[in-house]
Amino acid sequence: MKKIYVIALTVLMASCASEDSTLDIAGMFSPNGEVVGTRFAQSMAYNDSVGEIHLDMLADDYAVYVCTDSHITRKAHRNLDYFMDQYILAPMPKLALHLGDLIDAQKNLPCADSILHFDGQTIYDTLFATPGNHDIYFRQWSEYRQYFKTSAYWFDTNNGAKKLDLFICLDSAEGTLGIDQMNWLKDLLAKKSKEGYRRIVVFTHTHIWKLDESQGHTSNMALEETYELTSLLGQYGVEVVWCGHQHAMQRVMFKNVLYLVLNATKDKEKGQSYMIAEMGKNINYTFIEYPKK
Amino acid sequence: MVKRLFIILMLCLCGLWLYAGARESAPDGSRPGFGDRRYSIGGAAEYSYNTTWGHHGNFDIQALMPINQHFEMEAKLQLSTANVYSGTVQLRPKFQLPIGEMFIETDLRYRVVARNRIGDINAAIGVGYRMDYVSITLGSFTRVIDDYDLTWHQQGNYVVEPFNLLYRIEVFVRPQNNFWNLSFMFSNVDDYQIERMWQPLFSAGAWYDVTDHWRLNFWAQCKPTGMFHLDATFYGATCRAGFSYRF
Repeated sequence: MKKIYVIALTVLMASCASEDSTLDIAGMFSPNGEVVGTRFAQSMAYNDSVGEIHLDMLADDYAVYVCTDSHITRKAHRNLDYFMDQYILAPMPKLALHLGDLIDAQKNLPCADSILHFDGQTIYDTLFATPGNHDIYFRQWSEYRQYFKTSAYWFDTNNGAKKLDLFICLDSAEGTLGIDQMNWLKDLLAKKSKEGYRRIVVFTHTHIWKLDESQGHTSNMALEETYELTSLLGQYGVEVVWCGHQHAMQRVMFKNVLYLVLNATKDKEKGQSYMIAEMGKNINYTFIEYPKK
Repeated sequence: MVKRLFIILMLCLCGLWLYAGARESAPDGSRPGFGDRRYSIGGAAEYSYNTTWGHHGNFDIQALMPINQHFEMEAKLQLSTANVYSGTVQLRPKFQLPIGEMFIETDLRYRVVARNRIGDINAAIGVGYRMDYVSITLGSFTRVIDDYDLTWHQQGNYVVEPFNLLYRIEVFVRPQNNFWNLSFMFSNVDDYQIERMWQPLFSAGAWYDVTDHWRLNFWAQCKPTGMFHLDATFYGATCRAGFSYRF
């Protein structure tokens, strides 16, 4: 009986680690590719090479289309295509964000036509992305980087000379920001919070809070990092944090910061929706369900 | 290479588990015992590092008070140079079984994260079973994280994470009443923290009874992050050395 158990377990583990698997089981036990510190350093090098991003929205009010966790595969990308269609049809001014887990597993990134071929392929195209764990495991960071260039950055919006909103993108794909990114965030918030922005918005993949287990094994950050990060965001007056990863909507207010986790965009999943945030004096949120097939 | 190492590690763990179970089931005539019924106080010093708080040191004080053969109480206090302070009180009803012992772990913990002006309150209850070589606990806990700067009636003052799984599996290389031992633990809980369900802790411990009263304790822990993102990376580690005195 014991031998059968051991053999069965061995076969199971070996099958999980095969090339065609969508789960990077080996990644549970050791970093499988570039760790967050390396990705952050490469992102900063890219950011320095292209300079700061200031988007002139030509108005005080504009819309931000946000989706997350599309988990596309070669066969399943209907909801993501729908999101992009709706975004393209929306009136200006606008911009779009994808909060990570664009793809489900390895070899799927080239299938994200609607995003990758949307009017150019750089972060200047008013479509911004942050990596999720599915985007980078199986050593996929180099491929992700080819398309999206950077995983941690900031940009702001303005109406001519008038500053509007500051957006900060954090790389939390493996459930931590790492030392360098946390220090960068501290410095950035300390500097930018004095520059008179209407509001500061942070977006990242991993949700900060874990209120229930509705989505099974979606882990988030270590407690020490939760304390530090939430304290920092509260201290510098961040208004809202948009996250994904959990595949279930959640609103939490802590230290005057709203933490908003979005539903997934993944096809064939319960409760799929995307969000439109109308940025004005206040933010008005609308959550749009994807049409059933 | 990583895949091979992973499979070898899993086989070793399975082997250790099967060995431990087999030894306990052997009717060798001895009654399993889990330490004596004496009071115990202890202290320890820790070196700790994590990528958020950096290098820091901790000082621990622990006291164990057996009330009778069915109840024991434990109190633990940790002071950290990271400006974090933790206190734990445990009441542990326990019941001898023909093989091993069943116990109920009730836990109340408070962590003062003064550096971030945050308080973290945990209440936990779990059911445990331990034999000579293995100890298992499974339970649930509730966490309330509150902000010192807001009053209770203000929005955003606290966050509740109501239902979390608590688990601890510890394997020993010698019976638990031996004068020395080594143990390996997989859990989301240790003496001073209860991590979230999907944030496991890997620990190894050792003790050596220098005399009938004095015991030396050693303990180390590794805390990865992102394991269930399938993209694990190192987050923190802790080493502890201390003593306890039983009377």
